[in-house]
Amino acid sequence: MFTVEVKVGLKKGVSDPEGANTLKSLELLGYDEVKSVKSLKVYRMEIDAPSREEASERVEEMCRRILTNPVIHTHEIVFL
Amino acid sequence: MDVSHLFREMEAGTPVRVVLLSEASEDELGGISEIMGIGLSTEEMSRIRTHFISEGRDPTDVELEALGQAWSEHCCYKSSKYFMKRSFIGIKAPQTVIEGEDAGVVEFDDEHVYCVGLESHNHPSAIGPYGGSATGVGGIIRDVLCMGAQPIAVIDPLFFGPLDTPAEEVPEGINHPRFIYSGVVAGIRDYGNRIGIPTVAGMVNFHPGYTGNPLVNVGCVGIGRKENVIHSRVGGPGEVYILAGGRTGRDGIHGVTFASADLSAESEEKDRGSVQLGDPITKEPLIHSCLEANEKGLLRGMKDLGGGGLSCVSGEMALDGGAGAVIHLDRVPLKEEGLAPWEIWVSESQERMMVSVAPENVDAVLHMFRKWDVEAVVIGEVVEGKRVKALWHGRTILDLDLEFFTAGPEYCRIFESRKVDRDIPDPGIGPLPREKLEDALLSILSSPNICSKEDVFRVYDHEVRGRTVIKPYAGMPFSPGPSDAAVIKPLEDSYKGIVITADVNPYFCELDPYRGTLSAMEESVRNLVSTGAYPHSVTDCLNFGNPEKPDRLGDFERACTAIGEFARHFTLPVVSGNVSLYNESEIGKVPPTPTIMMVGLIDDIRSATTPDLKEKGNIIYLVGRTRNEMGGTAFFRYMGVECSCVPDVDLELSGKCMDAILEMNGEGLLFSVHDLSEGGLAAAISEMCIGGGLGADINIRRVGSMSEDEGEPMDVNEKLFSESNSRYLIEVPPQYALKVEDCLSRKGAPYTKLGTVLGDSLRITDGETILMDVPVSDLDYAWRNGLRKLMEGS
Amino acid sequence: MKADEVKVCVLRMEGTNCEQETFDAFRRLGADPEFVHLKQLEGRDTLAGENRSLDDYQILMFPGGFSAGDYVRAGAIFAARMKASSGRDLARFIDEGKAVGGFCNGFQIMVELGILPAFDSAMSEHPEAVLHANDSGRFECRPTLLKHVNRGKCAWTGKLEENEIRLIPSAHAEGKFMLPAERERGLYERLFDEDRIVFRYSDPSGDVEAPYPYNPNGSKFNIAGITNDGGNVFGLMPHPERVFFRNTHPDWYRRRVGPEEGDGRKIFESVLEYVMKRF
Repeated sequence: MFTVEVKVGLKKGVSDPEGANTLKSLELLGYDEVKSVKSLKVYRMEIDAPSREEASERVEEMCRRILTNPVIHTHEIVFL
Repeated sequence: MDVSHLFREMEAGTPVRVVLLSEASEDELGGISEIMGIGLSTEEMSRIRTHFISEGRDPTDVELEALGQAWSEHCCYKSSKYFMKRSFIGIKAPQTVIEGEDAGVVEFDDEHVYCVGLESHNHPSAIGPYGGSATGVGGIIRDVLCMGAQPIAVIDPLFFGPLDTPAEEVPEGINHPRFIYSGVVAGIRDYGNRIGIPTVAGMVNFHPGYTGNPLVNVGCVGIGRKENVIHSRVGGPGEVYILAGGRTGRDGIHGVTFASADLSAESEEKDRGSVQLGDPITKEPLIHSCLEANEKGLLRGMKDLGGGGLSCVSGEMALDGGAGAVIHLDRVPLKEEGLAPWEIWVSESQERMMVSVAPENVDAVLHMFRKWDVEAVVIGEVVEGKRVKALWHGRTILDLDLEFFTAGPEYCRIFESRKVDRDIPDPGIGPLPREKLEDALLSILSSPNICSKEDVFRVYDHEVRGRTVIKPYAGMPFSPGPSDAAVIKPLEDSYKGIVITADVNPYFCELDPYRGTLSAMEESVRNLVSTGAYPHSVTDCLNFGNPEKPDRLGDFERACTAIGEFARHFTLPVVSGNVSLYNESEIGKVPPTPTIMMVGLIDDIRSATTPDLKEKGNIIYLVGRTRNEMGGTAFFRYMGVECSCVPDVDLELSGKCMDAILEMNGEGLLFSVHDLSEGGLAAAISEMCIGGGLGADINIRRVGSMSEDEGEPMDVNEKLFSESNSRYLIEVPPQYALKVEDCLSRKGAPYTKLGTVLGDSLRITDGETILMDVPVSDLDYAWRNGLRKLMEGS
Repeated sequence: MKADEVKVCVLRMEGTNCEQETFDAFRRLGADPEFVHLKQLEGRDTLAGENRSLDDYQILMFPGGFSAGDYVRAGAIFAARMKASSGRDLARFIDEGKAVGGFCNGFQIMVELGILPAFDSAMSEHPEAVLHANDSGRFECRPTLLKHVNRGKCAWTGKLEENEIRLIPSAHAEGKFMLPAERERGLYERLFDEDRIVFRYSDPSGDVEAPYPYNPNGSKFNIAGITNDGGNVFGLMPHPERVFFRNTHPDWYRRRVGPEEGDGRKIFESVLEYVMKRF
């Protein structure tokens, strides 16, 4: 069993209104020290696969099929 | 106080404790209530003890929790019921179909009813603004849904502290108004938009009294066929209880007891668990499946699990249907392992609905839910008798007499009505010169309570379902002004429309709860009438302070009386409502806030009117009587003048003006209508100019001197900025002027001809004196950017 | 075909919520619309007689709303499920020239499915475009003016004049049409050259470079709706189904006389006429 985190982020240059708005809200609460916020989406999954390589391959496929849109997203797969 | 010796495990393996009330001293009774967090007073605990002694046993923790919830202010209205019954509950009106269930049901036409409810979600929204407001929307939608109606509109009156409140003035443990405001709006947006019900009206109000305790009221209107109306009660013994929708978790535990106490510094951390989390994507299919099952005639009773959870719902549904119930708590689907039976019993997790079904229809109903991926489980049966029982793997862990359980205490606590000084002081400012008047108008237009709330309403989908005929804004599509009320065309094959508004002016209510409440009722009427609709039903949400303090309860009593007097005069039934007390924090109570939501009907939506000026050359009239009653007005607040003579309501005059406007509008004589409220005549005409992108030239010489016995002539400040009730501005094409004047005279509605629609600036004169001449673009800029400036200001 | 023989599949799943308006639009024109839950195409949890096949219909509609709560990404879950269960049927449906339309969330689903822009086949393997978060960072419910710039390819706007402007309201948080940055230039050129752009956001004078609020989301070239190479698949961010009648326009009451027809109606008429002629 592998525990995997898939982090989906936005490609460089793609606007990130959620990050920008979060930054604004943090400022509202008085956290002036925060200089930038980028939004990321993280999916943590438990995967039953015979090997790390196969698990990794399956997760890549999931990213292609549903978890990301290649036009704007980057992703990173981390084994915990 | 250590009361642990009064708790005993029921038996090995059953996670239930028996509470030894029979062995407890008076002091220990209070201690038990406190340690369990059930919010019952020592007297109430003692009453419970007596009851169980008569049953010959001690209660379980499940039973005490259930009673704590059922007897909370929120569930049984113990402090407020007396006043409401005395004032306005049960006004007989032919249109009322059902009063006093989860939502009011009122006749729409021969075949249809509309359903209406309004609720507060104040304390949860103070602690978790996003989740709190979202669940508020969810809850009220379920209330309407469970009467068998399709929800068609959401309305949300919101009240916050000023957005520019200095951080140090915000009490410890309470969030800043800006944070609460942003979160509440986002919560309503994400929830309302996702379930596809348009958010069409409401209000956003700011007052320093809400800094420690914001108010989030949410209303919903639905439409249904008469034969599909379903009661919140079982049909009778033999039926099966099915619990459908979201799973049950620890969220929302003690939510109602939390709503029935003041907010404190520890509230933010301590009470997080009391805030439920909404899930619109469970809700949306739940709406579809419940309505579909109901239309197919598969359901006998339906009730939503709001404040009070499984406990209140299974008991009340059974009792109202003349039966008892047995619930198998171990069958309830859970969000997480390890919930104690009492937690399952009182949890207020969202998106849950209980339906009562005849045994032969159970499979069909379960399939209906499965089709929509809504989890649904048979959890109990309706039985003979008047007791509700809860079982845990076959063991009885709760067995309550329903009469005792649901009756709850009812108090007539001590109240003290304040004496309001209604004398009019000399404000000592004299008539303002032209530049000061112009400044005053622009400042008032850009002030937080009057300025455009477009930034709020544009994030709500107010058009989903494709039936919103008049939206929150009216006029030129890309530079609209305000509308007075929202209009929905609910049916495919009929032009009949439902018109909705929600109003209250907390500045008036703060100074004079009686007149303030009358004004709220009258303003609602004006908003409907301006739009072309006749008022049809009232729903209220009464937000007040701690009822155990006599002055707070005195304010409440005054408000109830005012609602009753107004409603009776016009035979307007108060078909549903909600009371929220204990709206206090360490910086004091909120202003008395009796939010009034009124529904009107219009026979043909194509005759609806809006405030935006339509055509150059048309004549502008002021209908109604202007008085010197400036207490709490936007102008006096701007000038810093204190005065508690707030506008009164003359019920006879109110009726005459209403009749006249409705008749003239029905004949198509009026091109635009706008009621006068905050900011008075000057603000109202400005808003009409803004919406239409047109100017006006008016003379106010005769304003305020329509009858001889009025005494002192009014000065220009009063003429321009008085907020007297029962007044409207109307735009009339010259060829209809005679007809209009004739109708107004015939109805006995006072009027003054003010001037014409003209040019692209607002020019106001008093006799020969020019009071102001402001380009409409300047009015527009001030009004449109008020809120934005405040938000971006720091 | 006669209008009442045209079967319209109004597809839904949890979270779609503009299906009633879409259904009503077709029914008012005399067509035969039907609500079909995605599960009825998948054959999951259905009883006998509840299953449906795309072959039974001539028009397929993806309604607006928040399918599956827009979790993961607007339209992604609906698209992935649809692709897995009925991907091939859908590609065939499109190749046969049948009509597919989607508004708002429907457009997002179609882009995620790869049936728009569909540069090289009826359905691309991966999305070739995206409807990204509005530049304002907010949900925007506001009137928008659309200039019909299609030169005749799109079956859904056959009854509209070229360059005419219609008021079709928008209500979305993610509507900014984007193509992959690295190939952007060539792809936009193709959309224009191949007459695949149907509507562009405009101001009242017809300027299709007008900024916010005329362009509510920041789409490049003010693109609001596009079609596929065959012209039978059409996606649009604004909501024509909400302005079938004049009385839901934001300013109908400013002009009391005039037709009851709203600016959205012709879109439904166009596709119906296309189907009736072709099948």
